[in-house]
Amino acid sequence: MSIVRSPRLAGALVLALAVATGCGSGSGDTGAAPEGKAETRVFKADNGDITIPVSPKRVVATGYAVPALLEADAPLVGISTWKRGLPLMTAEDLATYEKLAKVAGESAAETNYEAIAEAQPDLIVIGVPKPVLADIDLARLEKVAPVVAIGPNVPSAWRDLSRKQADAAGALSKFDATRGEYQTKAESIKKKYADVLPKLKLAHVGAYGEVAKGNFQREFNGSWGTNVAQDAGANYYGQVKVKGGGGRDVSEYPSIEELPTALAEADGISYSVNADGSVPPNVKYVLDSELWKNLPAVKAGKTYPFRYTEAATYQAAMKTLDAVDQAFAPLLTK
Amino acid sequence: MNTTRRGRGTRVVLLAAALVLLIGVAVISVGIGAHTVAPAEVVRALLAYDGSGDHTVVRDVRVPRAVLAVGAGAALAVAGTLVQVLSRNPLAEPGVLGVTAGAGFAITLGSALGLAAAPAAELGLAVAGAVAAAVLVYSVGRRSPLRLVLTGVALSAVLAGVSLGLRLLMPTVFDRYRFWAVGSLAGREQAPTTLPMVAIGLAVVGALLLSRQLNAVTLGDNVAHTLGANVARVRLSALVIITVLAGAATAVAGPILFVGLMVPHLARRAAGASVPWLTAFAAVLGPVLLLVADVASRVLLPTGEVPVAIVTAFLGGPVLIWAVRRYGTVPL
Repeated sequence: MSIVRSPRLAGALVLALAVATGCGSGSGDTGAAPEGKAETRVFKADNGDITIPVSPKRVVATGYAVPALLEADAPLVGISTWKRGLPLMTAEDLATYEKLAKVAGESAAETNYEAIAEAQPDLIVIGVPKPVLADIDLARLEKVAPVVAIGPNVPSAWRDLSRKQADAAGALSKFDATRGEYQTKAESIKKKYADVLPKLKLAHVGAYGEVAKGNFQREFNGSWGTNVAQDAGANYYGQVKVKGGGGRDVSEYPSIEELPTALAEADGISYSVNADGSVPPNVKYVLDSELWKNLPAVKAGKTYPFRYTEAATYQAAMKTLDAVDQAFAPLLTK
Repeated sequence: MNTTRRGRGTRVVLLAAALVLLIGVAVISVGIGAHTVAPAEVVRALLAYDGSGDHTVVRDVRVPRAVLAVGAGAALAVAGTLVQVLSRNPLAEPGVLGVTAGAGFAITLGSALGLAAAPAAELGLAVAGAVAAAVLVYSVGRRSPLRLVLTGVALSAVLAGVSLGLRLLMPTVFDRYRFWAVGSLAGREQAPTTLPMVAIGLAVVGALLLSRQLNAVTLGDNVAHTLGANVARVRLSALVIITVLAGAATAVAGPILFVGLMVPHLARRAAGASVPWLTAFAAVLGPVLLLVADVASRVLLPTGEVPVAIVTAFLGGPVLIWAVRRYGTVPL
């Protein structure tokens, strides 16, 4: 009778032995590796300078790192779920997403440490926002493999962060190609609207207002709903009344009573909608309000629904660019 | 006789004063909000509406909210009064009959089945859940007030447990429920509340009409029979009224638990042991309390609104303790 009947248990035991004997990554920053060990380098992450393999072979990704590393064709062996990004994935990435082992849920608190250990990664990339990092037991994960935390602080930071995540996972080549494709597309749309968009003072109503509090989300430059449209030449005027750190530096939640004063100067107003074009309840609350119907931009018919505002990778943001192009199309005919 | 007349006169004066207070806090509620509207403009919005931003804020956001506070406050306070009288338990509130838990369970189940997408659907689910829970509680515990309360508490515990299980298993359900679970008057101005408000109005009138017979029931079943009251019918009618009041209030504003417990205690200072007077005072003081809490919810924090249920619990608890310590309790 075999003592270890389950391959997973066997893997976990081997891993535990490896941890106990201290044979993880660990050479210096020069990249020289002792015989039999992977070459390493020092990587600057939110959790400090971390020694990681130069070419990791088994990567676990969570949060925002999931779509970034799927697109970059990183050697993933486990991921967190990332339901909000499913409509933005290509068919190929979606198929890979479905196949991969899920080692964490949607929130950082749903991290399954045993499942991560069973995946036997040689690198763990945590892509959660910095304030949420405290919900993860990094010390416990570091016993399994080197951990790099690379999370967004402000929504528009996905451009740099997704590159950093791909870099850590040794998957930069495809990333840079996709980024080039995005930049070309953005430039083309920018030229298309060059005569109209820069003249408009725009405002954006986001999907994260809270009806139960009677408020709405207004997004400024650099926020989820606006940052890709900015690449197409849009400009969202104004700024938050009080900076609250992170996403609250670029978006705020005024009472619905403040809708007329908040958006009175806007020449045009964009708003976030679901991937299928339906209006989320928190946005519908604003759109159904009599205060909305009286806004100058609304009376002038200058409202623009944006799909795919959750994009956090270049591949996904290309879908957002198409959606922005589609929404702004009436500007070219008026 | 002389004493009775003097007592009635005092109560009439106190009730009139409470009504004046209600009108005063309603005016303040319509005048105060995140957007500053000059008092003269508030009056113009009510009397000479011109469709401007200020007028729309007053007419389409603040007035519906104040009306909702009046309706929900009266409903919860009168329901609390009837529950305390019916169960002869000063710690009872509408939730002990399972009505709130029933509404919460229906919202949770509806969210899990994808039926709670629109405010109207949410409202319908809450009413259906409240009614179903009340019917179940009454059918099991109708024989005695104690049995009624125990059945309500037991059913509430079961429904709360099942709801919690569903929410833990389904994060999207949890997301939907957490917004509903904290009772609030904000963001409700677009919900179809006309029908629940009419139901509340009719149920309050029904409670006032029933209150004389409830007065007899408080003396015990035998005495009530002797006085000509049909105890079973009175109890059933009271339960129907409580269900309509608590179910409608919970549906339009979410669970606001403390009003139904606290207002009857405060009203008893003025009404004494008379159920008709107690019901009348509760119908006026409930809206006063909820309007004051709602105004406070808008101005307490500079960062934004606090749900009114948090304010009623935060301020109501100490106020009730102060009232009991200062004036003592009045027996049921």
